[in-house]
Amino acid sequence: MFRWVEHTAELELEIEAPSEAAVFEEALIAFAELAGDGGGYPVTHELELEAEESSMLLVEWLSELVYLSEAEQFVPARTASLELADGRLRATVEGHRGEPKHLVKAVTLHRLALRQDDTAGWHARVVLDV
Amino acid sequence: MSELVKISEVQWEIPASARSDMRVPARVFADRELLAAIEGDGSLEQIQNVATLPGVVEVALAMPDVHQGYGFPVGGVAAMELPDGVVSPGGVGYDINCGVRLLALPLAEAELGRRREALVHEISREVPAGAGKTKRGTHRTADLDVLLRDGPRGFGRTEDVERTESGGSLPGADAAAVSERARERGASQLGTMGSGNHFVELQRVVRLFDQRAAEAYGLRDDQVTVLIHSGSRGLGHQVCTDYVKQMDAAMRRHGIELPDRQLACAPASSPEGRAYLAAMAAAANFAWANRQAIADAVRAAVARVLGNESAEGTRQVYDVAHNVAKVERYDGRELLVHRKGATRAFPAGSAEIPEPYRELGQPVFIPGSMGTASFVLAGEPGSIALAFGSTCHGAGRRLSRTATRKQIAGAELRRELEGRGIVVRSPSTKGLAEEAPVAYKDVDRVVDIVERVGLSRRVAQLTPIGVIKG
Repeated sequence: MFRWVEHTAELELEIEAPSEAAVFEEALIAFAELAGDGGGYPVTHELELEAEESSMLLVEWLSELVYLSEAEQFVPARTASLELADGRLRATVEGHRGEPKHLVKAVTLHRLALRQDDTAGWHARVVLDV
Repeated sequence: MSELVKISEVQWEIPASARSDMRVPARVFADRELLAAIEGDGSLEQIQNVATLPGVVEVALAMPDVHQGYGFPVGGVAAMELPDGVVSPGGVGYDINCGVRLLALPLAEAELGRRREALVHEISREVPAGAGKTKRGTHRTADLDVLLRDGPRGFGRTEDVERTESGGSLPGADAAAVSERARERGASQLGTMGSGNHFVELQRVVRLFDQRAAEAYGLRDDQVTVLIHSGSRGLGHQVCTDYVKQMDAAMRRHGIELPDRQLACAPASSPEGRAYLAAMAAAANFAWANRQAIADAVRAAVARVLGNESAEGTRQVYDVAHNVAKVERYDGRELLVHRKGATRAFPAGSAEIPEPYRELGQPVFIPGSMGTASFVLAGEPGSIALAFGSTCHGAGRRLSRTATRKQIAGAELRRELEGRGIVVRSPSTKGLAEEAPVAYKDVDRVVDIVERVGLSRRVAQLTPIGVIKG
């Protein structure tokens, strides 16, 4: 699950999920909430991303969605498949071409966190520039 | 905050000794009331974080409109000694060269009369609003290279370009330093406003504080003006994204440790630093070209509603950047001045000021929140003495977007503005609500502080008669 935390000018996203992969899936759902809905034909994107650490991989993941929504008017809906291994991410993302309503400018590194907590769940925090 | 030391009623300082990692003190320009608001968010901690950056000189500054951002606070100024002081993309922000341009129409509001609504409507048709919107007839790739290098110089009116900060073109811009992704995001967005706090406002001059400066700037009582607030759009956002990532990866190599990862930086003389500065300059030039394209669109709307003569007579007063890093000289030293949510405000006599304004100080525009006053200021000597040639940039956000929406609904705000005779055009009622005046600090108070400190002085006050929002 995810929630938006109050921040004076930006949007802070907090995610709690049972697995690391689920953090990424929740992040997509949160982004989709911002990008909005609307019609358009279905589109699928195959994504391959890499980063030196998992928190940066989360930044890359959301940055990719920012880019696709702006450059290709892609409104994501769900993660059809997602694999994480050795700092690499492979995913199939389904959605549609639409008119994203509230685009995020960028994904910041401010207060960035992604970790497994004591209860064996995963916790992430990322601040979006809107 | 206990570390704050009072210097005067409008200047407060956190000494460098407050934290072991601070290299210089942090200073805030504010009165007690604004200070209370500033202490309510994380901006004081953020300006202290800025004071830790390698190469920072003298003092890290927070303007009275400062609020919490990410990395740098919005309303932060810091200067790094060149060649080896750092450049931080986060110290410029994602919207590189977000800024403000003011146009003055050759007529008074009384003369505009009932054509006002038609004019606002035509401007809203000409200037696409909203996030990610694109404009018809966008530029080809080859044109984009020219825009990144020259800004509006190739297509803007000569007198517009002359009345633009840095002549609308920062030196050292290199289109090759701008990624393909950045180009893709920006190429179709030239001449578009964007979302968030960006706007085009139709206004009238309601008060003149400095008749001589107002006359030189071409402003008179009741005159109709257009204020344009936009930036480098997706192109700038992607340039910052690209280089924050590069610098984050290079920090260990440069032996830099920071209290906030978003401050990621590299020596300006390093390969990463040089590449960022070349890309940032290109994005800044794109932003100036963008505001030029919007100004041209406004003139096209003026021509349709008021005739060609009025469009021809629509003059650009000036154009200022408020998210940028620039090389400037202070006391014989070459410094890289980061202004994030702060405006250059050079005093009279500076060779950087267009000749007709040179003896009066550089024009600065301070947009208020939607539906409230905006100000035209002129740079004063205190900006050089105290603030690396800088002043504030706006009212400064006070409430989060969610909190603002809880206080006022978009439809209610729209009715309220229209009840006050302001014509509103906005594709997003939610977006409108998020920018309600209640979300911002009192712009009069912010402007009062920068005048009392001596950074800039009031020249004119403008009030909105039409709002076009992204």
